[in-house]
Amino acid sequence: MLTALAPVRPSNLAGLASLMAGPRPVHFIAGGTDLLVSGRRLPETGVIVDLSAVAELIGIDCSGADIRIGSATTVASLEAHAGLAARCAALAQAAAECGSVQIRNRATIGGNVANGAAAADLIPVLALVGARLEVMLRGGVRTEIALGDFQPKTGGLITAVVLPGRALLPRSAFAKLGARRDLTISRLNMAATAEFVESRFRALQIVAGALGPRPLRLNRAEEALEGRTLDPDSLRGFMQVLSTEVDAAIPGRASHAWKRRAIRGVGLDLIARLCGLSPRDPVFEEAL
Amino acid sequence: MKLTLRINGSVVEQDADPLARLSEFLRQVLGLTGLKEGCCEGECGACTILMDGAPVHACLTLIFQAHEREITTVEGLGDAGVLTDLQAQFAGAGAVQCGYCTPGIIMSAEGLLRSTLTPSDEEIRHALAGNICRCTGFETIVRAVAAEAARRCEAGC
Ligand SMILES: Cc1cc2nc3c(=O)[nH]c(=O)nc-3n(C[C@H](O)[C@H](O)[C@H](O)COP(=O)(O)OP(=O)(O)OC[C@H]3O[C@@H](n4cnc5c(N)ncnc54)[C@H](O)[C@@H]3O)c2cc1C
Ligand code: FES
Ligand code: FES
Repeated sequence: MLTALAPVRPSNLAGLASLMAGPRPVHFIAGGTDLLVSGRRLPETGVIVDLSAVAELIGIDCSGADIRIGSATTVASLEAHAGLAARCAALAQAAAECGSVQIRNRATIGGNVANGAAAADLIPVLALVGARLEVMLRGGVRTEIALGDFQPKTGGLITAVVLPGRALLPRSAFAKLGARRDLTISRLNMAATAEFVESRFRALQIVAGALGPRPLRLNRAEEALEGRTLDPDSLRGFMQVLSTEVDAAIPGRASHAWKRRAIRGVGLDLIARLCGLSPRDPVFEEAL
Repeated sequence: MKLTLRINGSVVEQDADPLARLSEFLRQVLGLTGLKEGCCEGECGACTILMDGAPVHACLTLIFQAHEREITTVEGLGDAGVLTDLQAQFAGAGAVQCGYCTPGIIMSAEGLLRSTLTPSDEEIRHALAGNICRCTGFETIVRAVAAEAARRCEAGC
């Protein structure tokens, strides 16, 4: 079946920019792991641009103060990048838990952001560190915007995701809960970053995903652990506050009752990872 | 539209809809029926192929996206009618029952073994998490992949 939609596979940004300056509507496909799942239809007219061959959109640069990630960088590359894991472990961990090997080999960070699913796994981490997006608008204008300000309908191209260096604290972690262990869409996910000063949590920040359409900062849960040591008492208080965060976020929703319980376990997994411990460590077992 | 693709080591020129799924093209136009179209949603892994050596879903790839990439299907791993060593390990370990999932799992396993020859059982399970097998219970599959890893290690492949 032939359609009026024209496929194009530019190898550089200049080629892509000239397509975007043209009169035809331009649609993007990167890994296709959101766009091509059945039930979704391809657009009928215009140009569909495969971003996966555009050299300038691929790669992770950790050499400067900020980390810059090209939008067509695959999730598998995020998972495998040692420099990224050292400076933003949460993003590498979230990448490692996205889909399956086959999905990670195709799925991109730009697609995860542009698709904007409430359950997306990279987004809570990006929200946590205040990521910014480099965007190219139709006509070739380049701009930088906050993560939450991207509007897919305007036809802008995300060219890169920037993690500001000042937000990258020494420790960060990601944890998720799905319907099964592997290849599972998050029913709930959480990301955290912190530092430890004299064995106490400092500057703890926590963001949860799949608790509403946008990532949610859990201020009360942060306060519950701020300045405290890692002990069963602190963790019990933390878990209680996590449940109240769910009460405030999704009252009356069908998932409310189970998510207010489930978030306690995800929260413990998150703190265990943040501290480099196993969730089977006695301190977590005792807290339950 | 005339498309030029690199499939199983050969350059293939063929008229096709560039916006069709690669899985459909490989099976229906080129007759490479080893891969299966199970779910067409990235869930079952039956359509797994290697793209530039890495396992991907042919069902979630449009034909034009395969341009200038090296595509390998299960048929491209060996000679027609002769089992590869990896396939022989599957047969020997009883890792094949109905066989529907097998070509996809072989491709995921091949992708893993091209990146490491010393995978732990945990790593094998993680690498095959995108492939569903309803028959075997997976244990024999993990054994077959581990045995092939050990064989390649010994052979210095
Ligand atoms: C079986 C399966 C399992 C999955 N598991 C997970 C999971 O565990 N966690 C998770 O977070 N996600 C998961 N996903 C969803 C998906 O893989 C991710 O959201 C992925 O990151 C999407 O990236 P992509 O490159 O494939 O996007 P595409 O499908 O190529 O594009 C998605 C949308 O974004 C637009 N787009 C893409 N790139 C850009 C850009 N640079 N600028 C502007 N717009 C752009 C496209 O036009 C399209 O509208 C899963 C999907 C499947 C099919
Ligand atoms: S047919 Fe491709 S994953 Fe099921
Ligand atoms: S052998 Fe039947 S599905 Fe795997």
